[in-house]
Amino acid sequence: MLLSIEPDGPVPIYQQIRDRIVEAIAEGDQPAGSGLPSTRQLAVDLGVNFHTVNKSYDLLRQEGLLRISRKSGAVVQRDPGSGPPDPSWAREWADRLRTLLAEAAAHGMPEQDIIRQCQAAVAHFAFPAGEGAA
Amino acid sequence: MTLSSLAAIVPVPFFGALSCITPAITRPTLQFGVRIPGDRAGAPVIRRERRAYFWRTAAIGVCWTVAAVLLHGYGSWWLARIILLLELAADLGCFQIARKNIAAVKNSEGWFAGLRQTVATDTNWRADPPRFPVRWLLPALTVIAATVIVGAVRYPGLPARLPVGFGGHQVPKSIVTAFGIVAGQLYVTALWTGLMLIVYRSRPDIESADPAGSTRRYREYLNACTKAVLTLLALVNVTLLLSALQKWQVYKLSGIASALPLLPFVVGLLIFAVVAVRVGQGGTRLSRVGPVNILQARLSRVGAGPSGRAGQGPQPRTDRDDDRFWKAGLIYVNRDDPAIMVGARFGVGWTFNFANPAAWLIIAGIIWALSA
Repeated sequence: MLLSIEPDGPVPIYQQIRDRIVEAIAEGDQPAGSGLPSTRQLAVDLGVNFHTVNKSYDLLRQEGLLRISRKSGAVVQRDPGSGPPDPSWAREWADRLRTLLAEAAAHGMPEQDIIRQCQAAVAHFAFPAGEGAA
Repeated sequence: MTLSSLAAIVPVPFFGALSCITPAITRPTLQFGVRIPGDRAGAPVIRRERRAYFWRTAAIGVCWTVAAVLLHGYGSWWLARIILLLELAADLGCFQIARKNIAAVKNSEGWFAGLRQTVATDTNWRADPPRFPVRWLLPALTVIAATVIVGAVRYPGLPARLPVGFGGHQVPKSIVTAFGIVAGQLYVTALWTGLMLIVYRSRPDIESADPAGSTRRYREYLNACTKAVLTLLALVNVTLLLSALQKWQVYKLSGIASALPLLPFVVGLLIFAVVAVRVGQGGTRLSRVGPVNILQARLSRVGAGPSGRAGQGPQPRTDRDDDRFWKAGLIYVNRDDPAIMVGARFGVGWTFNFANPAAWLIIAGIIWALSA
């Protein structure tokens, strides 16, 4: 998995690391069961504070995407093939998505453009066979 | 000319030439310790400063070499060392002039304004780490073993006083004085092997603009540099063995021939220099066209970034402007970076993160072992 962050960007580094890992899981680069580097290693590789990576991993653990154990380290727990998510999580996600899409509409983005952007993003996700964006 | 005067003079032109060619083997996005965006590598100020640096360091190298040759008969052993130090200080001054001038233009023209500055890593590097070429350590260890065996055979027959160093100074015979050279071999071998092992655990220098290609090149670079270092180690040990043989009175050389023990060391340095020129810092001089692997195919997608894949075309990425962490363009001090060693800013190799206490511990250990 390639992980690229903007250390001087407006988004906090821990959030960027978390976002990139979520994207890698969705795109099939980090399937369920695959391991992630240790927090110390990833901190060295990105040249960021160890606690920053720890915070990202902890966030992913709270979201149920990562399992962290002393023995096997950080392991991806869910991926596009893991079955439907928890209904309460799906409701909360739909609310966040609605706000995100509303931002685009509020800025005057045409409906077709919004849909096209959504389709373009989803096209890169690694859904199990027969479950594609179509 | 004696061995001691030759050993004193040779480093002057060697380091002079090294300083002169260093900009050519450094990363194109790092000009005299200044981080620049990739498309600025051909900027007029850079071409001008590189040219000026080349001629200045060449003139300095020639002048000090001439001075070292003319003065080798005068003064004592320290004169040549002072000449070498003055030469290095003058070269450092040239580096700082170029650095200051390039940084001034970079900042006034805002070279990084509006660019997406990123830091990239490839987690596969940890999943499939490069292997340290242990077998290449065997020649260095074999030479040490040979030195110990020859020493053990010769020891009973040695006179009561043994010569030390190049000056002809003599000390009473003992295990410590007779086998001091073996300790030197062990020290050099352990030091460089240890440092290379730390380097293998350090992060690879990955370019934001070409993560997959630069990761592949870094792998080749690390492999080539390690093999060159281990070859140099073996040859340094041969040099120490040859001088031990002289000390143990296995053979005696006089005049220019007394420089013979230095030959393996010089050959090792030349091999390292040739490898450094061929690969460049971080593998930047290696071919940019490599085998297309799965990783590259995958990265070309990821490289576009979230906004890139949304149909607006990939946003250009550049390495982060990290000048503020490099004091005088050469010394890395970054408290937030847990790395102990990072790629050097100027030339080929690695340097310490001086904000990391572990780096200071290692340096203290190296100095302690040297004095012990």
